[in-house]
Amino acid sequence: MFYRKIKIINTSGVLSVKRLTCCLQKIAILMILSTSASIADTRDMHADEQQATVTYTDAMLVIKELHSKLLYIMQNAESLGYQGRYGEVEEVVISRFDTPLIAKVIMSRYWRQLDDEKKMDFIRLFQRLSVATYASRFDGYDNESFVELSAEKLKKGRLLIKTELQRTDDKPVHLDYLMHETDGEWKIISVIANGVNDLSLKRAEYATVIKDRGFDGLVDEVSRKISDMELQDKE
Amino acid sequence: MNKITRTVLTFLMLGLFAGCASNQSKNATPHDPIEPANRTFYNFSEGLDRHLIKPLAEGYVSITPAPVRTAVTHFFDNLSYLNVILNSFLQGKISQGFSDTGRFIVNSTLGLGGLFDVATDAGLERHQEDLGQTFAVWGIDRGSYVYLPVRGPNTVRNLPDFATSLFLNPLFYVTGAVLFPVTALNVVNIRANLLDATNIRDEAAVDPYSFTREAYLQQREYLIHDGNPPTEGYDDIFDEDGDFGGDDDVLVIE
Repeated sequence: MFYRKIKIINTSGVLSVKRLTCCLQKIAILMILSTSASIADTRDMHADEQQATVTYTDAMLVIKELHSKLLYIMQNAESLGYQGRYGEVEEVVISRFDTPLIAKVIMSRYWRQLDDEKKMDFIRLFQRLSVATYASRFDGYDNESFVELSAEKLKKGRLLIKTELQRTDDKPVHLDYLMHETDGEWKIISVIANGVNDLSLKRAEYATVIKDRGFDGLVDEVSRKISDMELQDKE
Repeated sequence: MNKITRTVLTFLMLGLFAGCASNQSKNATPHDPIEPANRTFYNFSEGLDRHLIKPLAEGYVSITPAPVRTAVTHFFDNLSYLNVILNSFLQGKISQGFSDTGRFIVNSTLGLGGLFDVATDAGLERHQEDLGQTFAVWGIDRGSYVYLPVRGPNTVRNLPDFATSLFLNPLFYVTGAVLFPVTALNVVNIRANLLDATNIRDEAAVDPYSFTREAYLQQREYLIHDGNPPTEGYDDIFDEDGDFGGDDDVLVIE
């Protein structure tokens, strides 16, 4: 908007230079007009930007909080050990991910068939899985850094925060976070790593396991994954 | 000729499976209508991998220094790069096509036959293009998901790329005894580069078959859109049943 306006004014400015070289006055007026227009527009733009930043900042802070925790467990991976890393990320994962919604979306049509107790158990199990995954995957540091790049508005007030995990010898990993606001707080509802969305992966997998072995079979399988990650680190 | 026969046979085989697809589609995910056949191939490949290819790749990693493996990867990447050049142009990415051509020439000469990737440092970035991506850009549908023995996850749209990538690879025109060890090295090196990914899969997946399929299909979308897939697809999953995302019956955990 801002650029387009300036361009139009500039073009007409050039034209008037060609046609009426003598009429410096007109040019001066045009210049003044264009400057004031741009000042007004700049002010508008700043206002827009500020408003956008206010909404995005809260969401961005959540991501920054998660990233700084991850960086901390990476840098202190060995002294912390698996249990230490688990303890460090547990709180941020539980408070910043909307696990109840994530669990519901992942379980898709099976969710409705579960009673409240089973739903609660599954949500807790899934939280343990997420924490364990971070604790086991972020187990070393090789000068990586997280960079938060941009925020993009999606449908229904959801936000997509784009970030990168930059590495020294390799291309950066694109980490995108899908977030939504619930009870005035921004929560992560999906993580997309280099275009691969963890949520749809798990949804397809869990549907297969439920179909073959039922809900209890899925719970067994997920619990086994969590204890495998614990054991693996003790080796 | 032998190779061409094999390629033709592969296509014939695939045609047959695609034909079976319509009869087996009940109970399956829409994009994986031949899941039973795919799973059979998947299990076969996994068995072969677990008992032969993966141990070889792990052995190769343990005895070969990392810079050597990097050089090997660069060498084979460079040989397969003519297919990238072709597809950059076919997708209308003209300047990328010229940059890719420059990359191939620079790495083949200054990079000593592709062993060193000097082009990246010179600003000629590596791109990932293939005929499957070109067809996607042209608007051709993805078709069914197919899991092929040895070749792994694919979609029908991707199959013609086997031909172009084969015929455009200089190795295809090499004959004689050297071909076997070179091909074996290529396979083992490719597998070695995938070790991290498959270890993550084995650690995370509760159903490795569906994990591989979903990850592959999403990764392809990502490549087709050169790392910027349309974001509107990301949150559709939350709107599907109409009530996802609502607070009506979301449980609050104390």
